[in-house]
Amino acid sequence: MSKMKSVKIDRRSFLKMLGWGGAGTALAGCDLPTTVTLEEGKEEVVSYLMPEEYVIPGIGVWYASTCLQCDAGCGLHGRVREGRVLKLEGNPDSPINHGKTCMMGQAGVQAHYNPDRVTSPMLRKNGTLQAVSWDEALSELNGRLGAVSGDRFAMVTGTVSGHQAVLVSALMEQMGSSNHFAHETINARVWRQVCEDMLGDPMPRLRLDKAQVILSFGADFLGTWLSPVHMATEYAKFRSAPRGMLVQIEPKMTLTGGNADLWLPARPGTEGALALGIANFVIERGWNKVNVTPNVRRALAEYDLPKVEEITGIPVSKIKRIASLLSERSPALVLAGASAAGFEDGYESVAAAMLLNIIVGAVGETIEASAQFPEAALLARQGSTADLIKFAKGLENKAFDVVLFANTNPVYTAPEALGLEKGLAEVGFKVAMTQFPDETAMLADLVLPLASPLEDWGTHVAAYQAGGDPVISVQQPLMEPIHKDVRGFGDVMLGLLKARNKEFEQFADYYAYLKTAMLNMPGLADKDNKNDAAWNNLLQKGLLSAKPAKGKLSIKAHTVEVAGYQHSKEYPLHLVPSARLGLWDGRHANIPWLQEAPDQIAKVVWDSWAELHPKTAHELGVKNGDIIRVSSASGSIETQVYIHKGVHPDVVAVPMGQGHTAYGRYAKNRGANPLKVLNPITDKKTGELATHATRVKVSKVPRKNILVKMGGSETQMGRPLVRTVSADQFRRTEGEG
Amino acid sequence: MSFKNILENFSKYRRGAEEGGHHEYEHRWGMAIDLNLCIGCNACSTACYAENNLAVVGKDKFEKGQAMHWMRIERYWDDADAGRDFPEQGALFLPMLCQQCGAATCEPVCPVAATYHTPDGLNAQVYNRCIGSRYCNNNCPFRVRYFNFWSYYESSWPEPLNMQLNPDLSVRDKGVMEKCTFCVQRIRTAKDKAQRENRAIVDGEFQTACAQACPTGAIVFGDTMDPNSRVTKLWQEHEVERGPYTSKKPKQNAELRGYRIFEELNVDPSIMYLERVRETEV
Ligand code: SF4
Ligand code: SF4
Ligand code: SF4
Repeated sequence: MSKMKSVKIDRRSFLKMLGWGGAGTALAGCDLPTTVTLEEGKEEVVSYLMPEEYVIPGIGVWYASTCLQCDAGCGLHGRVREGRVLKLEGNPDSPINHGKTCMMGQAGVQAHYNPDRVTSPMLRKNGTLQAVSWDEALSELNGRLGAVSGDRFAMVTGTVSGHQAVLVSALMEQMGSSNHFAHETINARVWRQVCEDMLGDPMPRLRLDKAQVILSFGADFLGTWLSPVHMATEYAKFRSAPRGMLVQIEPKMTLTGGNADLWLPARPGTEGALALGIANFVIERGWNKVNVTPNVRRALAEYDLPKVEEITGIPVSKIKRIASLLSERSPALVLAGASAAGFEDGYESVAAAMLLNIIVGAVGETIEASAQFPEAALLARQGSTADLIKFAKGLENKAFDVVLFANTNPVYTAPEALGLEKGLAEVGFKVAMTQFPDETAMLADLVLPLASPLEDWGTHVAAYQAGGDPVISVQQPLMEPIHKDVRGFGDVMLGLLKARNKEFEQFADYYAYLKTAMLNMPGLADKDNKNDAAWNNLLQKGLLSAKPAKGKLSIKAHTVEVAGYQHSKEYPLHLVPSARLGLWDGRHANIPWLQEAPDQIAKVVWDSWAELHPKTAHELGVKNGDIIRVSSASGSIETQVYIHKGVHPDVVAVPMGQGHTAYGRYAKNRGANPLKVLNPITDKKTGELATHATRVKVSKVPRKNILVKMGGSETQMGRPLVRTVSADQFRRTEGEG
Repeated sequence: MSFKNILENFSKYRRGAEEGGHHEYEHRWGMAIDLNLCIGCNACSTACYAENNLAVVGKDKFEKGQAMHWMRIERYWDDADAGRDFPEQGALFLPMLCQQCGAATCEPVCPVAATYHTPDGLNAQVYNRCIGSRYCNNNCPFRVRYFNFWSYYESSWPEPLNMQLNPDLSVRDKGVMEKCTFCVQRIRTAKDKAQRENRAIVDGEFQTACAQACPTGAIVFGDTMDPNSRVTKLWQEHEVERGPYTSKKPKQNAELRGYRIFEELNVDPSIMYLERVRETEV
């Protein structure tokens, strides 16, 4: 398929173009898979290069690919019959997801077959977007790109890795711009920074399977944190004999919290103080496995238990119990997620949790050095909200003339207070590469319709590498594009590059580029014939594992300073914009299966809701289904109330995902978007949006509504449907493992 | 099964658990669902939508109880939470689907024998025989039968969403009852394949869509008549046996985790649940 044109380039720049920066030795030992994966009960898993297999009547054929529903990078097998992809399952060979998927992964087919895709390029003419040909669209775009200089060009994407990241970097280089912003609302940016600073490794491997007790400060690892499917597979091992114990501290019960042995809400934003209090008590009792410097010791001593109880609202007895569990049930693992990180001193809170890890000896036991993919150019450019804020600052300073958005919808996710829409109005030319008519596309001057992930090529290197050896996962089309006028992301990028750099002309298309890249991977074992058969095998297997660039953890425990708790008279409550496994950051609101799937905790469907503790609801005089207005200094939203005890009384929790003003029939004009009313507060250290720091007040709106949710009764009403057994009995009968 | 056969052998297909139930089983498909592993994530439920052409009904019809979730995850708050400020022990999750009862209460009430017991131990639903009386639904203690109050073909699958429909099974139309089939199309495919290859079905060579998707492996599916299947072994390990409810105890062995929901109703469910484990020391 690849048509090589004769442009003379030297080997080094050739390799660089393909994303190989010369880590040949590090990659040595990469073996191309040589066997066809034959899964029991599945018809043969074949590669794309047998296109006739698409159409064997009545026979389903499985192709390997990669899930792009979030950035965890799970491997897929897609069942294709008569040229259509029907069903997705996990790729059993992937060390990330071991053949499993989450609900969003299952619903990938409904993103692909979505009735509200953008099917043709659209150019704004006289104020409205009008269908145009690709020729017209690209000539307009190339003209605009030709006229913009250096940093006045910006590109905004989600998390991007693999060869797509190589092409993004190449385009930025061609344009002479350093303004690539990677934006994800649901991210682990603060955790990464803390890991890097305190352990010398930004993404250490977490051994849930080894832990006997996990203390999680709001890390929803079963739902929305780092790599949910992988974590759930590890959780299964953690819960098997000898069964580990899970303690979850968070202001609003997440899916992970729903599975905890002990669930407690600390006063929002005081998770750091709680961690320090536990650390102090552990050391006081001499339970620590690692000694800390006198400096750290002195700082910790400030957190005596009565004081910590006063700050956090967690009783001394509970704090003591948690502290003793961490030492009794070693090895322990302490995690910290969005609700700990989402404050001005979020970094410090997460660092406090990490300090606890160090003290109880988790580092080296349940926290291991990561096994990173050894090619820097292919590593994930992980999205953050700090990048979104930087982008917004740039807009405010009128720093950009042309902005290219790809697979991201910041006009929906950005808080109103960042002034994104206003800033964008001043940008001369805005381009949205997207599959859907989302809010960002609606403001663009040019919309380029992308192929769906199930129609496109790509390679992906997950940021969280789960197994012993890091993998690069291949994304191959599972069918021909449904709409003839869409183009793959790589193809569009390659086209833009060809217009600027002749060297890229040797690749007929992104497919040819990828194939060349993979077969020219330096260090690919010589015994592999770098030919079609090898390529074919790679596509059958769906991934390639490399020898890791294995790091070492080096502990740097430093003192941590968390802020005290401030009460607010005007805004007495905290807004928790909770993340859902399902609608995610709102990107899946256009998928009917996911709208109809009841939220795991609230069980509400097709709408937004505000979770309130019964005590708070009583004070406000509201019942289930009543409409309330949630107002911050930056704006207000209205939604229906759902009352339950799994939320701190000082909190109103509104899930992200709804409140779209565009995005197709299933998403548009449904519910409210809590991200819009967040105050522009940031974590001091990382610049991340402090998602949980916004204070709000709540008032009743005189409108009634019926809360539509699954399940008539909130409890079992004494019926023994879900029976429980004590862990003691479990240990007695099912052993210590 | 022909209607004639049903009429002629009516009593054979209607035998209660205490009478030994349906006799000539070829397989008895069953499950073991471990509530210690289930995290309530909805992967199984969504996989079932994808595999089995389940209609999406939308908010208004959902409110009226017309959702078609063959596999639904119940979330219960603990009764003990009533005396606490917070649900300190988390929530309780329960994957609920048709239990493919050996002595199903839905079967004998169907006036046209649209729901009947198969030699595979399945509680089958013949869509084009169903007249929509909904008696079966009323008589199901598990509330896992779903009625097509509307024709969903166009509303649920606007083009090109319909391209995703699984051609191995039908899209049910208005007036018809439906429910979990244990992914009978997958069973069919596996049986045909085994027959073509002149061998018995091997445990694990296929799974239901829900069991396949479940990230924690909480659902184990297989033939409870195959002595070597994982599901049989789990049933044995937890000392749960098929057949009528005789022990008059809530569980067959109180010390072990296995139980069947509503076993006391004598419906002989084909799904064994394993109790959720709770830490007592916190
Ligand atoms: S976690 Fe779910 S959405 Fe994310 S890659 Fe894995 S299967 Fe896909
Ligand atoms: S066995 Fe099949 S039909 Fe039944 S709930 Fe599971 S996926 Fe759905
Ligand atoms: S997929 Fe598994 S863990 Fe998730 S709800 Fe279903 S049974 Fe439970």
